[in-house]
Amino acid sequence: MSDPVETRPAGPDWAKIGDALWRGLVRQKELSILLVTVAVAIYFISSNGRFASSENYHTIAQYFTPWAIVAAGEVMLLICGEIDLSAGFVFTLAPFILTTFADNGVPLFLALVLALLVCAVIGTVNGLVTTRFNIPSFIVTLGMYFLIEGVSLLMSNGAPVSAPSSGWVVEVFGHQRWSELIWVVVMVVIMQIVLTATRFGIYTQAVGGNPVAAAESGIRTKAVKVVNFAICSTLAGFGGILDGMRTGSFDPTNGGATTMFLAVAAAVIGGTALLGGSGTVVGALIGAVLLGIVFDGFNIQGTSANAFDVVLGIAILVAMLLNVYLTVLRKRVSR
Amino acid sequence: MSDRINRLNRRDTLRWLGAGGTAAAATMALAACSSGNNSSGNGSGNFPTTPSWRFVFVNHVTTNSFFIPTRQGLADAAKLLGIPTPQWTGDENGNVANMASAFDSAIDGGADGIAIALTDSNAFIDPTKRALSKGIPVIAYNAAAPNNFPLAYVGQDLYQSGLLMGQRIAGQVTSGTILVGIAQPGANNLQPRLDGLTAALKQNAPGVTVKPINTGAQQAAELNALTAAFSGQPDAAGLYAVDAGSTAACANLITSKGLQGKIHGGGFDTLPDTIKGIQAGALDFTIDQSAYMQGFLTTLHLYLYRLSGTLLKPPQTDTGLTFVTKENVTPYVAASAYEGGSSHNLIQMPGSIPLPPPSMVTI
Repeated sequence: MSDPVETRPAGPDWAKIGDALWRGLVRQKELSILLVTVAVAIYFISSNGRFASSENYHTIAQYFTPWAIVAAGEVMLLICGEIDLSAGFVFTLAPFILTTFADNGVPLFLALVLALLVCAVIGTVNGLVTTRFNIPSFIVTLGMYFLIEGVSLLMSNGAPVSAPSSGWVVEVFGHQRWSELIWVVVMVVIMQIVLTATRFGIYTQAVGGNPVAAAESGIRTKAVKVVNFAICSTLAGFGGILDGMRTGSFDPTNGGATTMFLAVAAAVIGGTALLGGSGTVVGALIGAVLLGIVFDGFNIQGTSANAFDVVLGIAILVAMLLNVYLTVLRKRVSR
Repeated sequence: MSDRINRLNRRDTLRWLGAGGTAAAATMALAACSSGNNSSGNGSGNFPTTPSWRFVFVNHVTTNSFFIPTRQGLADAAKLLGIPTPQWTGDENGNVANMASAFDSAIDGGADGIAIALTDSNAFIDPTKRALSKGIPVIAYNAAAPNNFPLAYVGQDLYQSGLLMGQRIAGQVTSGTILVGIAQPGANNLQPRLDGLTAALKQNAPGVTVKPINTGAQQAAELNALTAAFSGQPDAAGLYAVDAGSTAACANLITSKGLQGKIHGGGFDTLPDTIKGIQAGALDFTIDQSAYMQGFLTTLHLYLYRLSGTLLKPPQTDTGLTFVTKENVTPYVAASAYEGGSSHNLIQMPGSIPLPPPSMVTI
């Protein structure tokens, strides 16, 4: 594009500098969802004086941390064109695997590691069945969804059990105030680095963006997918253990479909394409924060249960629309 | 180029502001709808004018039809007392972590009183302590848990209700197997009933084997679970349940298979299918725990506690254990607001009142 009009005086051109700054900022994928989130936060802060307190920020963190950590794994899968519907129930199951190991005398930390290994195996099975037999992951993980739900009901006998309540493992992995949030942020940062700065991350994007070209250029697309399935299940299981340690109760009602759907919603709100190719883990975290703010905010406003889902649904749709609109704006500006 | 971008920016900025404004307006309108009836308290009867106290009920199955009378009760009490209708929140599917977060939101939001269904023994201890330390009264309703610190419990004495149910069954069944549906084994609001029932039968009718059936929390699936269990045990002497949905499923199963009079049946709560089952003779009895009272009295307790600056401490309240049978089922059939309907019409008193269980006071 040419610029026919060049009549500005010399010297520091503030308008130009402003333009450059604006364009630089707007190029960031996560900016649009961040703006929406900030706008929603400002709305709640201004409409209810109780919203802005460190205790309430902690409550918001309680809401969104499970969604954010499950979303971190789902983003990787969505980017390579797959989805894991069973992640919510792996979240439910992991604490009971940990208890089973711990009850049999395995030290708590080792039990945690073993539980995560079992989760990784579940993810690997998801991935292998999907890639070896060419079954859509939607179907494979739908089967796994019910299977894992059943297993967690059997292992727990449908009843909550007390989480371990003492020892450094408990404190570090969820019980200590803010520790759950710190772990989730660490995981999100790691996954974002993996996605954007490692060869594996580039492969993941390539596999989703153009599978044929990726395969032709020598990427082992199936292996990439299987690893991502394993990562997703492991993160979900880790999230379940952190959340259980925080609440002090391993409960078969935790996690499940709602957690999985909210995680996928967070990923998509955060700018990840449902059909693969592009996405950002940090965006999903911000998407989850947005959902957490909306949940907490409307609860503080005093919205009752039946109206709550209506309000929540509209809020998600409006946030999504604004996000898409800002994304279009971003593309136009950075052209 | 920069001019073009500037022009674009201006136009886009205006459009974006417009869209943002619309969204903000929509959100505010919604918020206005949702936090309606914020009228300031007028003072009821002899009571002084109070601030618009905001009470919050945290529930484990917010959309479950069992709690419709509870919500009616809390709304009726609030109207009587001139305070805003308490908020009804928690989780739709019993997710304890979500309930705890809703509890925390209520504390952070400066609620004036919190009612919580203690469906978990651990997750609500910290929030309860935190609320009390901030001067927010906490009352447990519908489900109680050991080692927590609510000011009082408003609900059924669950173990006792199971015990009395077991004693009643022992009067009808003395041998064989009975199937007992339970929506969530181990749950604080159900398992004690099953334990009480089992204990009573062990003592009063040791020949009876109790076979618990895990029916799951979804009402449609409960019938399937019971049907399957009955197919596997067609010689069962009785079909019982310790939760609302499974009891309705018992009634449906007995009616649909034409087993009235051939098999004993009974359970808890007063869902429409259960009441129909009582009328049709499919169920011998159902136990009413008065869901309405759990909303009404909890709200009243919170109000009086605040009003009196803690002088009127909420009493432990057993919301009752009424055996509903064919003899006294009539008032339940009217769609009154006290049992899940919407009518506040005066209900005709019966000519005589059946004798309740004898009083158990020791002198």
